[in-house]
Amino acid sequence: MMRSLAAVLRAGAFVLAASTLLAQPAAAQKKGGTFIVASEGEPTTLTAHLSTDTSAVMIASNLFNSLVGMDFNLKPVPELAERWEISADGLSYTFYMVKNAKWHDGRPVTAEDAAYTLTEITAKTHPRAGAWWPNVASVAATDANTLVIKLKAPFAPFLTLLGNSLGMGTLIMPRHIYQGTDPKANPANRNPVGSGPFRFSKWERGSHVELVKNAEYFRAGRPNLDRLVFRFAPDAAARLLAFEKGELDFLHAYIVPYNEVARLQKNPKVQVVNRGLELVATNEFLFFNLREGPLKDVRVRQALAYAIDRAEIQNRALFGLGKVAHSQLNSSLAWAFTDAHDAYKARNLAKANAMLDEAGFARKADGRRFALRLTWDAGKEAEQRAAEIIRSNLREAGIEVSFHPFDRATYIERAFRNWDFDMGLQNFTTGPDPAIGVTRSYHTRQIQKQPFVNAMGYSNKEADQLFDAEFKEQNLARRAQIWHRLQQLLMTELPALPLFEYPVLNIASANFVNVVSGPMGYLESRENVAQK
Amino acid sequence: MPHLEYALQRLLQAVPLVLVIIGINFVLIHAAPGDPLDVLLGPGEASPQLIAQLRAEFGLDQPVWVQLWNYYAKVLTLDLGTSFRYREPVIDLIASRLPATLLLMGAALVLGTLAAVALGILAALRPYSALDNATTVVALAGYSMPVFWLGQILLLVFSLHLDWFPAQGMVSLRAPAEGMGRVLDIAYHLVLPAIAYGIYHVALLFRLTRVKMQDVLAQDYIVTARAKGVSEPRVVLRHALRNALLPIVTVVGLNFGFMLAGSVLTETVFAWPGTGRLLYEAILSRDYPLLMGLFTCLATMVVAVNVATDILYALIDPRVVYR
Repeated sequence: MMRSLAAVLRAGAFVLAASTLLAQPAAAQKKGGTFIVASEGEPTTLTAHLSTDTSAVMIASNLFNSLVGMDFNLKPVPELAERWEISADGLSYTFYMVKNAKWHDGRPVTAEDAAYTLTEITAKTHPRAGAWWPNVASVAATDANTLVIKLKAPFAPFLTLLGNSLGMGTLIMPRHIYQGTDPKANPANRNPVGSGPFRFSKWERGSHVELVKNAEYFRAGRPNLDRLVFRFAPDAAARLLAFEKGELDFLHAYIVPYNEVARLQKNPKVQVVNRGLELVATNEFLFFNLREGPLKDVRVRQALAYAIDRAEIQNRALFGLGKVAHSQLNSSLAWAFTDAHDAYKARNLAKANAMLDEAGFARKADGRRFALRLTWDAGKEAEQRAAEIIRSNLREAGIEVSFHPFDRATYIERAFRNWDFDMGLQNFTTGPDPAIGVTRSYHTRQIQKQPFVNAMGYSNKEADQLFDAEFKEQNLARRAQIWHRLQQLLMTELPALPLFEYPVLNIASANFVNVVSGPMGYLESRENVAQK
Repeated sequence: MPHLEYALQRLLQAVPLVLVIIGINFVLIHAAPGDPLDVLLGPGEASPQLIAQLRAEFGLDQPVWVQLWNYYAKVLTLDLGTSFRYREPVIDLIASRLPATLLLMGAALVLGTLAAVALGILAALRPYSALDNATTVVALAGYSMPVFWLGQILLLVFSLHLDWFPAQGMVSLRAPAEGMGRVLDIAYHLVLPAIAYGIYHVALLFRLTRVKMQDVLAQDYIVTARAKGVSEPRVVLRHALRNALLPIVTVVGLNFGFMLAGSVLTETVFAWPGTGRLLYEAILSRDYPLLMGLFTCLATMVVAVNVATDILYALIDPRVVYR
């Protein structure tokens, strides 16, 4: 039958593609050495199932593996699963796991570990499980190395989700250590036993976490390093100093000081890597409270979009790095992204003023129309700079903007729990798949008093229907069409204005190669890193 | 021994004081906006069951007074609870970080005090000399600079450009040392942070010592001692310094409290693994048990040091008698 043939061919194609990608000349890499990674915060556990804390994921992805990984083209590649089959109706996924993977304590990794992890750990303790777990009908290990997952409805991004350890907690954990315990409090969370390229050595609180090479790693010839250390370095200036001095080898994308990049690029001891964050696909948004006031009117929101000079923001907030954002999706999600619906590309103050007049907000005697409050999570430099430009741009259109930055907990409470804001600045990951990264901000169902969902109160029936249909669509071209229509709706109605795309760049010591080996960069394992 | 009795009496009196401090802090923290679960869970797709479960586990579903009562009950059994964020006993967390802060504070306070007093004495003996003027200028400069900025400048000059000292942390990561090597490694890492941290204290104490010593050196009994033929070092150290010591001891005792509370800036700049940084992060993440545990420990230490300072007075000055 054509359908099952297609499924088999798909599986086969994956294996071929994956094996060429993985066929790095492992023997040619220099062995040994210590790689020191900077982390701006200290994690609370060394596993990834309890929260979306990136400082934990950064470390956990070296201790554990997922079923699949992702390559730079955002396609799934084998990891603990050496191949897989997807049924033609998209409801059944069968994973054939590698046979030689072992836990750091010597026991073999089996499909039962995977089944246990997903059903008992991820589903019950991960904060984002609510977004996708309800769609899973069953997870079962049919034998020691075969895992079958059945879904209730087709879910196109399922493999992406399983491969994305960033936010979804799908790193496979050892059943023999967690079974019968409370996964939230198990001491193995701080003394982890995984299957990954590095094993846990020590955690000196407040200072660093040290991992050492796993000589029994199931991928022969890896890792190359002897030691992998994560230093907690909270101060940006001192961190940069330490990096330039050679005490740190890697600064990831979110802690790269943008204003220093031009200078660092000229330093032969430094390499600037323009890859390794594509999957995170982060955009900065100016989001609006649509419930009351002038922002209820779409013409006002569009006028704001015409009045705000996004090119200047990208220039000043990012020091010319990154890009202006033209959609609710980041452009690295190339299959779905379109900039065709961004009508506000060029700043048009005259049009902004005209639209505001038309909407009934004429200028008063002092030249002002109305006032708006702008809030954000304080301490983020890029947002601070963006806020200042927005204020000055909007003042020219007669809108007075007042600043209300707060510490994280207070900001979350005011904006997302109390809906007590007019405009907010927030970065959102729009990846690894827009069904995971974008839908949560605009679906009517996501209007809840919870952090980082639809705080704007945006509700559009057609959008909801499209959101509900698109992830079931297995044909990529048709899915893309649906996303194009969604982008048209969202860029016209503007519940949130996309401002800029964060630059995809990491900086590292020039003494090492392969510092990033996938589209999640610093959040992935460092098994390929080697000394030069 | 009367001092011992007095010490015990003061320490017992300190217990209700610390309990009141705990109560006030508890209420203040809970009054601050922000929910610990928001910070813990991140993007809101957690299932309602998980949220409810965590809320019950953390005791957050009960009124503040009940929570405070439960907390007092725990503290009196020396159980400081479990951190929301780290899910570890608070005592273990504090114990793992406090030594680093005490080391930094100890170095800054002890060495700083010795240096300040020595320089103060020398300056008092030779006022307006080159040494006096130079020390005064450096002290005033250090006193006026914000500590995190001073830290960054020290790093820029002595670490990056001159390469004399390491930039971050308490230990070397690339080639970790053992035994005596580790002790030296830590000492080496301690220099810049201790300078940045201690300079405020040194500046204050230097000026104070200088003034007080000048005062005392002008007294009649000093003239008498010199006339009697007592050697100069004995005059200065045995007679003059002892009489000038009381205000110096007061300032050191007071500064202990300030420094303990203010270590976060130095620890942040130098990535020093102490309790200052732990406290700051606990505030940001609204980690109530950890915050309360830290406040309790810090309050207890400050009160204890105050008592110790009082005892020290009595030891230094025989005229001081406590009833």
